[in-house]
Amino acid sequence: MRVRMAARLVRGLLVAISATGLALSVQAQDQGKEKKIKIGVVFDLTGPLAGGGSELGYIGAKIVLDHFAKTGVEGYKIEAVYADAQSKPDIAINESVRLLEQEKVDMVLGFFSSAQCVPVAARVEQLKKFMWMTTCISSAVFNEKGYKYVFRPQASGDQFGMMTMDFIAQNAKAKFDKEPKDLRVAIIHEDGAYGVDVSRGNEAGAKKAGFNVVMKEGYSATAPDLSALVTKLKRAKPDVIFHTGYNPDITLLLRQAREQGLKFGALMGHGAGYGVYEKLKEGMGTDATYIFNTDPISIWLANQKTMDPKLPPVIKMVGEEFDKIRPGVAIRSAHVGIGASNTYVFMNDVLPRAIKKYGGVDPDALRKAALDTDIPEGGTMLGFGVKFYGEGTPMAGQNERSFPVVIQYIDDKSSVVWPKSQAQREAVLPLPKGTTYSNQ
Amino acid sequence: MQAFLDIFDIYLLEAVINGILLGGVLALLALGLNLIFGVIDVTWICYAELVMIGMYAMYFLVQYYGISYFLAAPLTILLVALLGAALHYLVIAPLLTAPPINQLLATGGVLFVLQSFATVAFGIDFRNLGIRLPVLAFGDMNFSYARLLSFLAALVGMVAVYLFMTRTFTGTAIRAISQDRQIMALMGVDTKRIYLITSAIGGGLAGLAACLLVLQYDVHPFVGLSFGPITFLICVLGGLGNFIGGFIAAFVFAEIISLGGLFSDLEWGYVLAFAFFIVMMFVRPAGLLARRR
Repeated sequence: MRVRMAARLVRGLLVAISATGLALSVQAQDQGKEKKIKIGVVFDLTGPLAGGGSELGYIGAKIVLDHFAKTGVEGYKIEAVYADAQSKPDIAINESVRLLEQEKVDMVLGFFSSAQCVPVAARVEQLKKFMWMTTCISSAVFNEKGYKYVFRPQASGDQFGMMTMDFIAQNAKAKFDKEPKDLRVAIIHEDGAYGVDVSRGNEAGAKKAGFNVVMKEGYSATAPDLSALVTKLKRAKPDVIFHTGYNPDITLLLRQAREQGLKFGALMGHGAGYGVYEKLKEGMGTDATYIFNTDPISIWLANQKTMDPKLPPVIKMVGEEFDKIRPGVAIRSAHVGIGASNTYVFMNDVLPRAIKKYGGVDPDALRKAALDTDIPEGGTMLGFGVKFYGEGTPMAGQNERSFPVVIQYIDDKSSVVWPKSQAQREAVLPLPKGTTYSNQ
Repeated sequence: MQAFLDIFDIYLLEAVINGILLGGVLALLALGLNLIFGVIDVTWICYAELVMIGMYAMYFLVQYYGISYFLAAPLTILLVALLGAALHYLVIAPLLTAPPINQLLATGGVLFVLQSFATVAFGIDFRNLGIRLPVLAFGDMNFSYARLLSFLAALVGMVAVYLFMTRTFTGTAIRAISQDRQIMALMGVDTKRIYLITSAIGGGLAGLAACLLVLQYDVHPFVGLSFGPITFLICVLGGLGNFIGGFIAAFVFAEIISLGGLFSDLEWGYVLAFAFFIVMMFVRPAGLLARRR
């Protein structure tokens, strides 16, 4: 009897010990399992788009990701996995899918080229994964697509096209001494998703302003010769040329324009290659002066007085880190700031909310957190606010508070000249007499 | 009458002349590729990448080392000539008896190696030589000196290659080998040496093209993509290995691009040029100047 009781006691003890051990082990496992968000970052690091601004966007995003990797977010470690889209849409799709399915990243972030954004967004949405686009601008990404998991704080392409037209419309009489209907405008663009989208905005803006559109044409960004396009521009005699291109097609066009004696009153660029002043200067020398560019404002030009006071130190940090990577750059490209600011919005606003309010970093938590975003104007380094068009709207996922600005390069400096509320100086318009392209 | 004048204006003439000048650029590119195919019977898919390396050489010699353009140009031609010879020695020679597809794939592989090498060694930045040549103006028409130089170089290069091939012993040997590989070896000609010389001359012509293209285009690792396919098409259109055919095809192609682009969208100029190529492949599959059998 005693033996049986003793055996039962031993058995009970063993069960109790093993149960306690198991419980402790589970607890230890829970404690040991680190909370982490893996972010797949896709930019073009090789191929023609890399030098056209993509690598600069990548540097901006990486500076911010590295910054948060040191601190973590709400107890989550940050791990970025980088991929090179090689300036090819098919590679961008394959790399995004590889990151999501093989590297098991929780989301993808980045994307410079609109030609990549459009198909990648469709694929990521199909996989029900979260995508945060920092740089590409084509409206076609969202237009009537009804995506749930794709978000973009960046302004859209048609806004770019409308903004430059609005700028010229408001200055036609004062600067060109012409009524809008007498102002001859030419719209030329690379024929990818980006150029086509911006040119649509240009066209709509020209129609609204009542301009005389004397020419509208697309071309391949890899065309080895643009002399026929220049000849047609000479024949059309535009007062203002609205151009959307990458690089090196921009420098090729402007070089051939100089050689063929094309004259005009103003050249309005729309981001991408026009956002990299160093390259414009290298290719065109002093002819790069007085060129206009439309982009989200450079974070180093944004009005810090009206900005959230937490942001200027971040801008300073991004600038210092960029200078370490690229010392001696005359004008820090807006692309760096775009990559940095739009990544910062996610890391600083959306991600903490997803973790705290929605309990993690799965696509639905990130989606809900993104939809809750409500940053007022002045709440980002780029100056604009962030609120996404909601589900069921035609542009669901696009930031409704973003806007680009018009800047002008003068004497190796870039200054905001439009809209008036952000203007830092008066625009030099039309091109001064004696300059290479001046039609005066 | 007004409608006629609207079309046949000074800009049409400018487009015609620009087409001729573009033809010069393309003819220059096609010259070396044709020479190599004509003699060695191998197509260097990576030919435009040799031009790219030459453009980088020009950029660094002029911008980085401060050497004058006129001194840098012969150095670049020599460098790319050596590169051409090395390409033959290391890649082509071991594959001379292999099926043509293997040779194509091998030179295609070299294309990616050279692109990747340039990306790693020089970075992805677009680089500009910074030399701005003056412009030749005739009334409302303006022409680029850089293009005129290319056109002249193509003409001189064409004549020089022709004279070399017809008036020198080596040139005669090259022509003889291109007609019959096996028999020339039996007659005591060192075919390996002739192939090496031909490859060096082909490389040198790529170097010459690089010296002139660098005045017109930014240099970057993928600049070859803008020219490679079109150069290859021109060589095929002219008849692979046919110098004069390639020369004429370059101008025909360039005029279609230029005039097609003037009368319609620029893209249509290229579409028309490629459509013309396809039609000619049916009509004259051996090239524009091929003899009908």
